[in-house]
Amino acid sequence: MKDLEFFRNATLGQYVDSHSRVHALAPLTKYLGLFALAAPALASRPAYAALAVMALGLLVALAAKVRPAFLLRGLKPALPALALIMALQVLLSWPGDESAVLLRLGPIDVTLAELANSARIAARLAALMVTLGLFTATASESQIVHGIEDILSPLSRLGIPAHRLALVVGIAFRFIPILAGEAELIVKAQASRGADFGSGTRNPVRRVKAWLPVLVPLMLRALERSESLVEAMEARGYSGGLRSRLASYPVGSGEKALRAGLVLFAVVSVILVSRAPSPFGTWL
Amino acid sequence: MAFVDVRGLFHRYPGSPVHSLSDVSFQVQPGEYLAVLGANGSGKSTLVRCLDGLAEIESGTVLVGGLDPMNAEQLADLRSRVGLVFQSPADQLVASVVEEDCAFGPENLGLPREEIARRVASALEAAGLQAERSRPAWALSAGQQQRLAVAGALALEPELLLLDEATAMIDPPGRTGFLDLIGRLNSDGTTVIHVTHSMEEVLRAGRALVLHEGRLVFDGTPADLFERPGLESWSLSRPASLEAARRVRFAFPGFRPAGHAPEDFRDELSRLARASGKVPASPRTDVSLPAPAVSVDPPREDDALVLDKVAHEYLGGTELSRLALDGVSLRVGKGELVALVGATGSGKSSALQHGNALLAPSSGSARVLGLDPAAKGVDLKALRSRAALAVQRPETALFETCVGDDVAFGPRNQGLRGRALVERVRSAMARVNLPYADFRDRPVRALSGGEKRRAAMAGVLALDPELLLLDEPCAGLDPAGRESALALQAALSSDGRTVAVSTHSMEDATRADRVYVLERGRVVAEGSSAEVFLGTEPPPGLERPWAAEASVLMWRAGLTDAPTALDAAALADEALAVLGVAPPGGVPRGGLEAAP
Repeated sequence: MKDLEFFRNATLGQYVDSHSRVHALAPLTKYLGLFALAAPALASRPAYAALAVMALGLLVALAAKVRPAFLLRGLKPALPALALIMALQVLLSWPGDESAVLLRLGPIDVTLAELANSARIAARLAALMVTLGLFTATASESQIVHGIEDILSPLSRLGIPAHRLALVVGIAFRFIPILAGEAELIVKAQASRGADFGSGTRNPVRRVKAWLPVLVPLMLRALERSESLVEAMEARGYSGGLRSRLASYPVGSGEKALRAGLVLFAVVSVILVSRAPSPFGTWL
Repeated sequence: MAFVDVRGLFHRYPGSPVHSLSDVSFQVQPGEYLAVLGANGSGKSTLVRCLDGLAEIESGTVLVGGLDPMNAEQLADLRSRVGLVFQSPADQLVASVVEEDCAFGPENLGLPREEIARRVASALEAAGLQAERSRPAWALSAGQQQRLAVAGALALEPELLLLDEATAMIDPPGRTGFLDLIGRLNSDGTTVIHVTHSMEEVLRAGRALVLHEGRLVFDGTPADLFERPGLESWSLSRPASLEAARRVRFAFPGFRPAGHAPEDFRDELSRLARASGKVPASPRTDVSLPAPAVSVDPPREDDALVLDKVAHEYLGGTELSRLALDGVSLRVGKGELVALVGATGSGKSSALQHGNALLAPSSGSARVLGLDPAAKGVDLKALRSRAALAVQRPETALFETCVGDDVAFGPRNQGLRGRALVERVRSAMARVNLPYADFRDRPVRALSGGEKRRAAMAGVLALDPELLLLDEPCAGLDPAGRESALALQAALSSDGRTVAVSTHSMEDATRADRVYVLERGRVVAEGSSAEVFLGTEPPPGLERPWAAEASVLMWRAGLTDAPTALDAAALADEALAVLGVAPPGGVPRGGLEAAP
């Protein structure tokens, strides 16, 4: 019945309030940290480079008092998608793929290049998810929102509504647990009326059909709740116009140096990982 | 000059043939505490929205502090002087941290940072939330969240507080703290307009308005309101304190307690008993009742539901893990009506969800209708339709376009077709008073809130279950809706079905055969409602029903030999026996005063 607990593996987006020195950094610094790890993760050519970035992320997690196992568990929901990508890599062949054929299954050739590509995609995705998980574990929702505001505020002179964009992101975050909670209640209500949840059916048609009675009321509830929120915001004087902010994040000289270091690290590491030698030759 | 001035107000929702407010006029002076009552759908919430510019006025005038909510230029100023608190605590949180949420209003006013900080500090102080200022808002209890919503309104430094059923979703301890806060603010000069379904809360107000089908049908003091005949036709009821006093007065005209507390009832009774020469015995010295019992009888073979030392860890093994049940043992005998009471988060819902195998115990064991849901080969789908659960706010799960189709969802999943299906749907809808012929093809979205709840209940009853698990079936209903939900429970039980129901309301729990009191995932008291509410001291944090508390106080004062009353009618009989008057045969009709 664990499949009825909707929060179980959703570690991406969960704030872990462990009061570490990483947590105490200003939102903008955390965004730079995210950038400094995500950029090399995406740019890495061989899989081991991406894995190295991931390992670095897990080290930072230790410093932030966030358990690495917590971040790794967040990979679980992505496994089906990853399996699909890898299957496509193997099933479809690349034009001009002249690498060694490792395995021949009827019409399907499993080549070294396909295997290495799959590994690279898997490693990049894992590194990226760990990095994002680390970011959301150390930056609270309001810091994520304030960070966006701080990044975009120079652009507000160009007419870009920094605060409104930030608020949209903030509300999107707020609705994740709200919708998960609503979905859980609705699923439980329908399962109580004999719908196929938690009863272990593997028939895909039955599984899809069982979701319709959930999606319809879930959409309605999402609309109702967003309407309530809009009313609550309007009643407190929100008009989308000019406003001030209570939270401020004073930045010391040490943190300024850290910011410079993070930018430098991003540039250097991107150059390094994109040129890292591959153990499987030029193709990879 | 009146702070709120409403004259000839009409309102209609787009596409609706009828007015939701018709010709409503009233004035509110600064510093007043006004309660607004009425059935679900009578227009109370619409009225509040009209005052704050959230609903469009069709005709008439509305002025709040001299400002017109329909005038876009005055609206911002108006909203900075009016605080609005809604029903659902979670739906009005804007930011994720307590103090940032509180700051949202002043931030919108564009105030300087230092001024915002000052206002937030004093608002959180007033709401008793200073200690929580840097906590995540979602981690607060519902009662605390609702006080945060008040703090968010207070940060605007409003002259008027509008409360739209703001206590409907919080438990009794949270509610008392919330109402005390509102009372303090009112005595400091804030005008309060409080929309509520709770008749007890009306007594805190100096004045009450009643809306019925969009019209203002009463404007006067709560005392006058509850003396009126025909309260039921407005879907209202009388608070237990007034109902008991009225019943006594019917046979003993001089009975007039000074206030609404159980102590006032006892004091008036002992005054009259002394005056009429019935010298009461001296107050008892042996006043303490035994501690609550938690020993559960050994389970019987035919019990409908048995939980044996069940622990349930929600999200076990993750950072968010929470122990929802911590070794709960309970049994629901075949044909019994059992109530689970306790504060929010005490584990009532989790216990019920073990009753139809939506949750499996992390440790301990469950037996549902003689089966162990954890055993191999048990058909959970079949078991769930024999032990059916109505979740909280079950109307949120309605999904078909027409009522009849939605009610048919369950029995259709059971494999029923054709005539048998129609019969099942027809009888389920009849049970909840939604006649099949009238409501079968009614669009779900055209139903009122109370009708939606009943349609959802019909969807569960249509499974024809042996065991019914009802999670807060009365939450958010007006007194008439609540009374019909309680009557439905009783009817199901007298049919021989087993019913387990969770509730915040001790009054509702007295209607059950047996009561379990839960606290932080443990059973802290168990027994018949008389044993739990009259025979033992209540567990900490639990308040007796009003009538039971008065009955215990009368016994302690030496007026009676034992506390026996669980409701207003029984309490009145008990009081009349003390006064040596035989209870009258009939029940007093509304407004009727006995001749002196």
